[in-house]
Amino acid sequence: MSAPNDDNASAHSQLSSHFLAGLLDSIIVDVASECHRIARLGLDRNLEEEEEELRLSTQARVMVADPSNSGEANSKYVVDIFGQTHPAIANEVFECMNCGRAIMAGRFAPHLEKCMGKGRKARLKTTRSSTAAQNRYSRSSPVPAYSPYSNSHSVNRVVNGTTGVTGEDFVESTFEET
Amino acid sequence: MRASINRPPTPDAEEDQEKELSLQEIINIKLIESGEKERLKELLRERLIECGWRDEMKTLCRAFTRKKGRNNVTVDDLVHVITPKGRASVPDSVKAELLQRIRTFLVSAAL
Repeated sequence: MSAPNDDNASAHSQLSSHFLAGLLDSIIVDVASECHRIARLGLDRNLEEEEEELRLSTQARVMVADPSNSGEANSKYVVDIFGQTHPAIANEVFECMNCGRAIMAGRFAPHLEKCMGKGRKARLKTTRSSTAAQNRYSRSSPVPAYSPYSNSHSVNRVVNGTTGVTGEDFVESTFEET
Repeated sequence: MRASINRPPTPDAEEDQEKELSLQEIINIKLIESGEKERLKELLRERLIECGWRDEMKTLCRAFTRKKGRNNVTVDDLVHVITPKGRASVPDSVKAELLQRIRTFLVSAAL
């Protein structure tokens, strides 16, 4: 009983492989036909560009390998792999979305620190409502009735009530206050 | 599935060669008639796209086209360019899956 089945199985395998090969060849012809169409109709816009890029990259390699372009010495005029130079501080100017002033890109981070209130002198820019809220909370800390606040570390800075030091107590107290 | 070809296998040894050929033809016809051949081809196409095989073949074609010149390539050229690599670079998992399906079909068609 097993012998005929084995023959059957191997015949099946052979037939299957043969059929798969036929299927694959048919798909190969499909791919070739499509590529032929693209080539003849000029639909492949990058066909010549790759050569251009290859040439540019070999050019860049030559420039990098050239010792006369050493980077560290002349810091402001270092040439990168694309042959461009960049100033030490980015000089594009744009508008700050917080205060609306024209700011240089390279000086944006320090400007934002002052603008949004991180540093010593930064407080001058806070709005009236946030200042009022801060005054409210800072006033309540010495009063014993509001003991949850005096334990909290974030009394002066909490405006929106998002910290959850003593979560539930804090929420209830806020409602009481208003 | 209505079998349109019903022919009991003959046990004679001399007729094996002939039977082999016609068995293949029988299978092919059964596959086409049941729609399984189309499904298998779609499955194979999908798997070959997923694994990047098709992109590889297209890259080979583009490289050849760049060398030979866009207007000088023929379909025949491209078939010859991609056939050896194409046949060799089908992932084993894809081959196994397709072979399994074909074998299942053969068994279910009582061949």
